[in-house]
Amino acid sequence: MPDARMEEFMARIERGDKIEAHDWMPEDYRLLLLRLIHMHAVSEIMGAYPEKEWVPKAPTLRRKMSLAAKVQDEIGHGQLLLRVAEDLAAPLGRHRVDLMDDVITGRVKFHNVFHMEAPTWADAGIIGWLVDGAAIITQTALLDCSYAPYARVLKRICAEESFHMQHGESIILSLAEGEPWQREMLQEALNRWWEAILFFFGPPVVTDAARRMMEYRIRSRTNEELRQKFLTRYVPRIRAVGLEIPDSALRYDDEAGLWRYTEPDWERLSRMVRDNTGPKSQERISLRRRAHQDQAWVREALLRARAAAAV
Amino acid sequence: MAMTQMEKEPAQELNANTSYDVYEIFVQASDLDPHVHVGSLLAPSPEWALQLARENFLRRAQAVSVWAVRRGDVHGTPDDPDWFAREFDRKYRDVSGYADNARRWKRFKAQAMHIDDVIADVRKE
Ligand SMILES: [Fe+2]
Ligand SMILES: [Fe+2]
Repeated sequence: MPDARMEEFMARIERGDKIEAHDWMPEDYRLLLLRLIHMHAVSEIMGAYPEKEWVPKAPTLRRKMSLAAKVQDEIGHGQLLLRVAEDLAAPLGRHRVDLMDDVITGRVKFHNVFHMEAPTWADAGIIGWLVDGAAIITQTALLDCSYAPYARVLKRICAEESFHMQHGESIILSLAEGEPWQREMLQEALNRWWEAILFFFGPPVVTDAARRMMEYRIRSRTNEELRQKFLTRYVPRIRAVGLEIPDSALRYDDEAGLWRYTEPDWERLSRMVRDNTGPKSQERISLRRRAHQDQAWVREALLRARAAAAV
Repeated sequence: MAMTQMEKEPAQELNANTSYDVYEIFVQASDLDPHVHVGSLLAPSPEWALQLARENFLRRAQAVSVWAVRRGDVHGTPDDPDWFAREFDRKYRDVSGYADNARRWKRFKAQAMHIDDVIADVRKE
């Protein structure tokens, strides 16, 4: 029997209507969105870890300030996105504390790039330039999302990402203009990150969940389309600053109008994300756990202060 | 940090029976915009506040949603410029603090990237 509510919902989606938190929505839509936004939120927070390692070691005061500002933005993005996720999770009886506990228990994944090491200042540069660059492409592709609360938050996030973009370019330019050892350090960082960045966009196969997200107009681009956009924008710039992309198979196929590249090791990198077995996964999760536990008394004290004030 | 309650006002019960309340009105112009404060009005109930908001603020402007919030429920910052003080220049947080990127890219015969180009590019078929 066709569900009238479902039909009306799909008619709204097809008209280009936006859905709000209090609107009726199919369970499937809610769960797909929640999984996407929960992972996005947690990735913003876990994404701050590799960069914050560099705040105390940044080469100049200005770099230290801009890196600290960027880390602050990423945590802020996590906060905005968690609120959106919470409104979706509430009818399922799950709240902020559950969404954050999921990081510690491994029930929610975060992006592969944030499981990696950032051993040199050039890694901080590559993260700012290319990891943010890749994330900006995936986030701009969601600006037209059918779920309005997510689309509104993404608009704010993208406005702040415009600074991250300049910040990343600025670090890269300084290293590329620098001494041979600085350019070498940059090249080595690129070598470390390239495969992970290609993986970041996800496998080229359109999974069943991805197809449904497109039907619901949660997203409108496939992983491969976004990876191609990234390559078109960044390959020429990477080469312009004198870097060599560590993939001898990388070339633009004029006939097909597509970039050809060596596929990342999907199996190995997916396992790393799924099981949290990247070089830094466990260390960062335990930092997160410690932060969560060490600050429990603050959260509790604030509640007690409120209760005391109410008396 | 002390917040000011917008209304340092008469007891609620008295208010409910004898006078209208002030409602602050927030209008959302489109689904992708935030609600923006446009002004306030007097109304006997939230329902009336919304009706009157439509008459007062939407005679021309288009909107998709209106919020009416009783003034007493609005918490504002203290009337103190120091609350917004900035310890130093924050250009390093802004795109404008990186204006030299464009010139530096030119040396490498490439162009600086801007987020609006990326947005347009990703939307393009
Ligand atoms: Fe972010
Ligand atoms: Fe960012």
